[in-house]
Amino acid sequence: MDFTLALLHRHLLADLGSLRLTLARLVVQPAVYLYVFGHVVGGMLTGGNGPGYAAVMGPGIVAIAVMTAPFGAVGGTLVSGYYFRTLEGWLLAPVSLRQLLAAKVASGVLYGTLSATIVALLVWAILGLRPEGLLLPLALAVGGSAFFSLLSLVVLLLPATPDRGQELFSFLLMPMTFFGCTFYSHAMLDPPFSQLALLLPTTYLAEGLRGAYAPSQPHLATGAILLGLAAAVALLAPLAAWSFRRRLGDYLW
Amino acid sequence: MAAIEMEGLVRDYPGGLRALDGVSLTVAEGEIFGLLGVNGAGKSTLIKVITTLLRPSAGRVRVLGRDPCREAVAVKRQIGVVPQENNLDNELTVRRNLEFHCRYAGLPRRLFAPRVEQWLETLELAPKADARIMQLSGGTRRKVMLAKAFLTAPRLLVLDEPTSGLDPAVRARVWAAITAFRARGGTVFLSSHDLDEVERLCDRTGVLHDGRLQAVERLAGMAARTDRVVEATFRRAVGT
Repeated sequence: MDFTLALLHRHLLADLGSLRLTLARLVVQPAVYLYVFGHVVGGMLTGGNGPGYAAVMGPGIVAIAVMTAPFGAVGGTLVSGYYFRTLEGWLLAPVSLRQLLAAKVASGVLYGTLSATIVALLVWAILGLRPEGLLLPLALAVGGSAFFSLLSLVVLLLPATPDRGQELFSFLLMPMTFFGCTFYSHAMLDPPFSQLALLLPTTYLAEGLRGAYAPSQPHLATGAILLGLAAAVALLAPLAAWSFRRRLGDYLW
Repeated sequence: MAAIEMEGLVRDYPGGLRALDGVSLTVAEGEIFGLLGVNGAGKSTLIKVITTLLRPSAGRVRVLGRDPCREAVAVKRQIGVVPQENNLDNELTVRRNLEFHCRYAGLPRRLFAPRVEQWLETLELAPKADARIMQLSGGTRRKVMLAKAFLTAPRLLVLDEPTSGLDPAVRARVWAAITAFRARGGTVFLSSHDLDEVERLCDRTGVLHDGRLQAVERLAGMAARTDRVVEATFRRAVGT
């Protein structure tokens, strides 16, 4: 626990040290998306103030935050730790690989939840939308952050070298961002795209958040999404632990 | 008890490169052992095995009586490491690097805070304490890494070319710190290119060449030191 808190503190200090970059990533980038796509484009689509499209894409932007923040906090720090050798310093700390893995995932969950909260506040401020309750979006943010933290480890560590891991990571990031029902709802898609979208984890997260923001709008069943998310985290955790041990237990990476 | 014991240690890399080929060595507690070797001889691989970062392909290793593969946490708790390349946290200041190193090791602040100040002073890092690592010269980064190695009061120091890039005055301070560490009962495993450093500090020296330990010599007594026994051993072992 001490190690996890120390590592979280380290990540927060490092981000505070580059405050402008952190603010750009956490606030400016999603705010621009929300303004351009939610306010301006949404307004044009509806010929008025555009609450319809805004209600579709607002939760999608929160879902993108839940995906990208853990990718940066877990996968990003792992890769930069490899290139700058900070990772070697963490591996030399007197903790087990399991503790290091847990600390990394905890930082991913913290960053994902924090980032989702900031974007949710921006959605409220720019689009005037807020969820009907807090429990469902919080569960989706925490569960989604855990899932994407584990996924980033698997994607980065399965290939033999970090550069190949990064290639795979970049290859997956684009479809998950744009084809995972973030800028449109699943109900707007026709087959086969509606079926293909079901292969992407962001689809479930964005649809779950739509259920939290506007339960009366069409969306995938939130109960099934929460169960699926829990199952996905349970299945991915041992695979991430195995990849972590395989690459870092014998530090050839 | 021996501080380091290895028997028939082999380490192969993917692609078939054999970096260590049957290394057997015992380093006694309280000893300063110097490992010499040209680039690519296998010194850093050997150090990575001792410090738990790499697993042996074959053979047996014990560090302070423990298996570095199966009891890695217990081994890491008792060693201080200066790797060959900078592994400092570039995004933090010098002081934060030292503090987080102690926090990762689970030390309470009341214990590590005075130690951090002490090592900042000892290695003349105090004026740079609040500078980020990225702003430091290579020599200053080396000093921060040395301070880290000493901070957690380890029983064994594993140093991979610890004074490379340091000016003579700081090098002398580091040597004094290493000698004082040994006087308190600590063990030092030191890899170096610097024959003078090995001669001055070490009780014994070994030469690693093509992954094999070619020669181990005792350096006790001034006569042996002035005879440049280390250089002779090194030249004999690598055939130059």
